[in-house]
Amino acid sequence: MPTALTLNLAPVTLNAPDDKPLLWALREDANLVGTKFGCGIAACGACTVQVDGVAMRSCSVPLSFVAGKQVTTIEGITAIGPNAVQKAWIEHQVPQCGYCQSGFIMATTALLEKTPDPTDADIDAAITNLCRCGTYPAMRLAIKKAAQLKKAGG
Amino acid sequence: MAKFVKTKRAFLIGTGIVGGALVLGTTLAWRRVANAQNFKPPVKDGETAFNAWLKIMPDSTVVVQVPRQDMGQGIYTTLAMLVAEELDADWGKVRAEQSQINPVYGNIVALGDSAPPPMKSAMLAMARVIGLQLTGGSTSVRDGWEPMRTAAASARAMLLGAAAAKWNVPVTELTIEKSIVKHAASGKSAPFGEFAQAAATLTPPSSVTVKAPKDWKLLGTSPARLDVVEKTLGKAQFGIDVRLDGMLYATVKHIPYVSGHLQEVRWKNGTPPRDALHLARGDNWLAVVATSYWSAKKALDEAELVGGGDTGTVLSSEQLAAQYNEVLDGKNDGVLDAGVAHLKPLRRTFGEHGNAEKAIASATTAQRIDAAYSVPFQAHAPMEPMNCTVRIAGEGKDGKVDVWVGNQAPTVLQWLAAGNVGVPSENVTIHTPYLGGGFGRRVDLEVIRQALACAKLTGGKPVQLIWSREEDIAHDAYRPAISARMSAALDDKGGLLAWHHRMVGPSVSKSVFARMNPLAAGDFPPDVTNAEGAAHLPYALAHFKCDHAQVDLPVPLGFWRSVGNSYNAFFVETFIDEIAVALKKDPYLFRLELLKDQPRFARVVDAAASAAGWSSALPKGWGRGIALAESFKSIVCQVVDVEVVGKDIKVRRVVSAVDCGTALHPVNVKAQISSAAIYGITAALKSQITLKDGQVQQRNFDTFPLLKMAECPQFETVIVNSGAALGGIGEVGVPPIAPALGNAIFAATGKRLRGLPFVL
Repeated sequence: MPTALTLNLAPVTLNAPDDKPLLWALREDANLVGTKFGCGIAACGACTVQVDGVAMRSCSVPLSFVAGKQVTTIEGITAIGPNAVQKAWIEHQVPQCGYCQSGFIMATTALLEKTPDPTDADIDAAITNLCRCGTYPAMRLAIKKAAQLKKAGG
Repeated sequence: MAKFVKTKRAFLIGTGIVGGALVLGTTLAWRRVANAQNFKPPVKDGETAFNAWLKIMPDSTVVVQVPRQDMGQGIYTTLAMLVAEELDADWGKVRAEQSQINPVYGNIVALGDSAPPPMKSAMLAMARVIGLQLTGGSTSVRDGWEPMRTAAASARAMLLGAAAAKWNVPVTELTIEKSIVKHAASGKSAPFGEFAQAAATLTPPSSVTVKAPKDWKLLGTSPARLDVVEKTLGKAQFGIDVRLDGMLYATVKHIPYVSGHLQEVRWKNGTPPRDALHLARGDNWLAVVATSYWSAKKALDEAELVGGGDTGTVLSSEQLAAQYNEVLDGKNDGVLDAGVAHLKPLRRTFGEHGNAEKAIASATTAQRIDAAYSVPFQAHAPMEPMNCTVRIAGEGKDGKVDVWVGNQAPTVLQWLAAGNVGVPSENVTIHTPYLGGGFGRRVDLEVIRQALACAKLTGGKPVQLIWSREEDIAHDAYRPAISARMSAALDDKGGLLAWHHRMVGPSVSKSVFARMNPLAAGDFPPDVTNAEGAAHLPYALAHFKCDHAQVDLPVPLGFWRSVGNSYNAFFVETFIDEIAVALKKDPYLFRLELLKDQPRFARVVDAAASAAGWSSALPKGWGRGIALAESFKSIVCQVVDVEVVGKDIKVRRVVSAVDCGTALHPVNVKAQISSAAIYGITAALKSQITLKDGQVQQRNFDTFPLLKMAECPQFETVIVNSGAALGGIGEVGVPPIAPALGNAIFAATGKRLRGLPFVL
């Protein structure tokens, strides 16, 4: 059954089964491959997108769940950005292999919307994605820098 | 063809006189460059190719040909820096492009490193002939160091020659600054791209000199990585992101056991679901091709794979540990029971001086120290699941095969695809995008064989095969489980007299090569990775011996970030710590004592201890540990501060000192050291692979957890630029982290943990 939603600010209809995970609908049906498959069980966060502004792990969200909702992917952020998080990421040269980074950027973007000035504890609690390259040290600095940039209007 | 044969002969003659002298090194590099002058990469958009290594565009953009794969280690950037430095190019106008497959790009150093010392020169000669492109062994910069800089210096001379001819000025009066050719006397200046076409028609110089380190402008600084922007914007393409017209998707399931054969497929409803367009079957796997990964996965979930074998179906980690102990006891040199290991252990001595066995046997009980250690199997678990996309068009000599896959050895893939499909290898194109992590995982060819099998069924439609994470964790080619026994004897003055390292485990190289080509699986030459980090130690030891008992296991094995060093450093550096404790000596000062004739090592240990404030006080419940390891020609010392709360081990701080000769991109060197340490901390504290009844018990990140942001310690890394020959950097931060952490736990708790992962 076709599912109508707003994807990166544009209305779209995706022709895919209702129970198809949003991740695969994005990658296969909407041809948006910036959202990554990492584990399929919502454990790694590589597939993080925003649904009505809330960070969600798209591998474990059925397409039917986002009917009529606003879905934002890394492509949507980039199209109007780069946003403060991405600027800070570039400044701190965060990515290594880069595969998990879209998910971290989406999760951080959502965190800063709710918590503009996150403490280390806020970061630890909210950013539970996995990075096998271990970019966490640079990432923590970048998250704090992104908070500054965002407050300054970046 | 005649030309190629001649070139090969030239290389063979060249290697016959390997003597290690600097001039000769340049000569060998020059031979690679001379060969590289004859191979020009394909050009587009007005590019001019100078040689195999670089192209220049009319707008002066330098397009560096990179034959190594970027899996996060930043190699596109560092190799491009080698070229940009010699060209004095503007870093903002440098790009890296994955090169084609050609013997000129072979990784000579990697193959040389793989050979035991007596066979090294023969292996180097062979490496030059085969020209195998592979990324591993932390060799990329060491291998590219001479040919890439020399190729760029040659192009620079040609650019200046063309400018001198056009301006009618002496070439010696020309300089280049940020891609601009300048003639100070006349005030003339122009971007070097303007001279590229004319320059490329000139005869390459017969010799060039590369810059001395004091003249470097780029190397030793940390310019922006070439891949960071696209990776941050979500635009970087990984293998799994390939999208082709009419592409189908596939996924695979293996039999539940680590070895054995697929005997029967039982479908839930008797027949495959309609969504399964095609089924491909291999020795121990079944793949479903469908219009979507999701529907392929759902279809495959309905299949039960029945199969196994005598050996793989009974193996458990406990039983293996018991068998290992029997081998270490010197028993069971016949056929081992329960099919755990089929062959008589192959016992080899990888390093020896003095007579360690005699010295230890004659030591008194009070003078003798013994300890037993073990490490489990480990999975690589790169974040990008295994995947491969294949398109087959036509067949026979007219057939064409395109393969898109994140891989660490494109030359081997080309051979494999050509042989597998039955087309000439020049008709096979390997497209290598960014790798979503490698760590040795993407040397394995199984996913490529499976994707080829699927693509043969689709009448020319491309197929993207993706493994689920469950298949990746349960069917990896693992870092092996290893057990070791260490013995030491002290002298009458309380000094360390003798050292005997004995261990048992399989050969990773043998397993890797057997899966590439069964004919290549042998016990000769000895697998140097078995004992790397154990066969030669920097410490002063009057009597030393390192023995290895090699057994064959029915478990696929693979090169796992730092390979043998990953476990040998744990054995060696924990044991050194135990000896220091037995002698009531400070572990840092004890190491320095044993390094009195090794100033390069001592300097690294001092740098780490000093940066960490070795003697500074720690809060109650905390402990501090130190460990040192040389791997891939680099030396790393790490000091770890740990906090232990009940059974909870919290790594608080990791201070590293690294001497990789010269840090060419210091920011990336530091990033790689912390990256590798985090990889090692995950293996030391969080995850392991265990076997029960022939099955891997872990399936996904719930049962194979990785270190998270909240658990990540603080990192500080000190770079010691000794100016020694270059070492690797992508793996060298792994080996010392587990022993440094274990030694810190001992300092905090008084408990000596001798197996990984650490559990209090």
